[in-house]
Amino acid sequence: MKRRLFVRKLAITLSSIAGAIIGIVFFRQFSHKRAGSVKQVRLGELSDFPVDTYTFIEEHNIFVYRDHESVKAVSAVCTHLGCTVQRTTDGFECPCHGSYYANDGSVISGPAPTDLVWYKMSRLPDGRLMVDLDAVTGPDDKLIFT
Amino acid sequence: MEQNSQKTRSPKNADSYRRQRIRNITQNFFLHIHAPRVHPHSMKLTTTFGLGVILVFLFLIMILTGVLLMLHYTPSVADAYNSVKDIVHVVPGGRIIRNIHRLASHAMVIVVFLHLLRTFYTGAYLGGRQLNWVFGVVMFVLVLLMSFSGYLLPWDQLSYWAVTIGSNIAASARELTDLLGITSFIDAGGFFQQLLIGDEKVGQTALTRFFMLHVVFLPLALIVLSALHFWRIRKDGGLSRPVAKELKEQEKWYAWPVLMWTELGIFIAVVALLLFLSFFIEAPLLEAANPSHPENPAKSPWYFLGIQELVSYSAFMGGLVVPVLFMWFLFSIPYKDREDQYIGQWFSGSVGLRLTVRSAVFAIVVVLLQLLVLVKYGGIRDWFPGISQWFVMLLNPATFTVVVFIVYAMIVRSRTGSTRMSAIALFTAAIVALIIFTVIGIWFRVENWEFGLI
Repeated sequence: MKRRLFVRKLAITLSSIAGAIIGIVFFRQFSHKRAGSVKQVRLGELSDFPVDTYTFIEEHNIFVYRDHESVKAVSAVCTHLGCTVQRTTDGFECPCHGSYYANDGSVISGPAPTDLVWYKMSRLPDGRLMVDLDAVTGPDDKLIFT
Repeated sequence: MEQNSQKTRSPKNADSYRRQRIRNITQNFFLHIHAPRVHPHSMKLTTTFGLGVILVFLFLIMILTGVLLMLHYTPSVADAYNSVKDIVHVVPGGRIIRNIHRLASHAMVIVVFLHLLRTFYTGAYLGGRQLNWVFGVVMFVLVLLMSFSGYLLPWDQLSYWAVTIGSNIAASARELTDLLGITSFIDAGGFFQQLLIGDEKVGQTALTRFFMLHVVFLPLALIVLSALHFWRIRKDGGLSRPVAKELKEQEKWYAWPVLMWTELGIFIAVVALLLFLSFFIEAPLLEAANPSHPENPAKSPWYFLGIQELVSYSAFMGGLVVPVLFMWFLFSIPYKDREDQYIGQWFSGSVGLRLTVRSAVFAIVVVLLQLLVLVKYGGIRDWFPGISQWFVMLLNPATFTVVVFIVYAMIVRSRTGSTRMSAIALFTAAIVALIIFTVIGIWFRVENWEFGLI
């Protein structure tokens, strides 16, 4: 009887482990990074961006800001429920649930739990700008040009 | 009643007549879903209002119209919108079929909700019927998912943004992991979202998944669970009824023809009503989906607007904690409350009815007071700008309502000493709050998600 109990417990344990592994492997199938989802995106020349303006790049859902000495890029995806934020005179506003963000992307009001995400920018040898949508940074991290 | 007419027949004739009626049921594959005899109480209008049967017919209509729509539909980002446009404007009769499909889906959501209310308030989960209640709650969720997965398929502005909101509600665990600073290690919210739409934003993968869920996985699950649901009704001895009303088998009515004619009548009424309405109520089709210009306000499907209202207070609380607590409560009702004497009785008698009304009024007061504060004085972040997200998450109408209701149910429990009564109190309060939040989300949230009248 004791041996039978042991075998049963062993069988249950082993099949649970096997089930867990199969489950994880199975569900990982549905959350992979897809080919073609390139995260380093090219934006164009510096001169394409007017000074002191947040330019909306529709294709990648980001705003690029240029001032007299630098550029930086901020995500246009609201951190609340993923709507696309719109530019206002002194910040960003999400039309879906009314979150307001300041110019530096920090939450001023509304249900947004976190600030807007800033992405690292770099300049390619040919002079074009590139933004890395995998590299998250802060509002103070600008790409300074001379 | 008609049953009594057999008394006038000769005994031999009456016997063969009785056998024939029973044989009509037992010898037919489709009809033997019913018992040969049915309790008169089950046939009373006020016992069920026919809600379960209506659901079955609505589901059949959904399958029929759905298959017809599928013949013309293309599940790809490039073609989906145009194929639906073709269904509406080019395919002969396509507009009516699509209208019926949409009306029936909304009707299913409403009727399954009413069916849940009916089952709860008549205490139909009592007397060994726990398992069937659990099947029913699972089917309730499946019906919502069926409707939600179908929402994306037309790929217009309405569907695109509704599903974007819906899929981000799935990611709402991020609010907590962000606060704890562990999102980069354990991103549970992101995982759920990936599982649902397969990407960070709604795109072709999401469309493929929703299409598969909508036409294969969810209907199959619903069919299997329906079969289990009906099988349990038979196993549990038919629909629930008060203990005092038990009858001998011979005193029950024949399912053929009494039940059969009733069901046929309901079926014809459902089809007629849907056909009639489908000529007047058009299924909307806005312009094609545009990922960079959200609808303002962007709203999820109407039956999720209660949750969206809560999510606008706090994503983690409204999108995860409150729904999970609510579902856990629904599942646990028949296992916590075993007071079988209340079975089959609307509101468990006059005491329960009074408690139901009182709980509803209590919930209305609690929720409306909070909303009043919210409308007049704003949320906690408006009072203390720059306050930590922890406070925003923990101190809002969603959490406050849950805490107040749980305390209320505990007070009712200790005062009455009855699990059934405390279940009625909590269930009523929760349902009323859900309805109020949904109504607010549908009609009282305007541009920028501000309060106002649509």
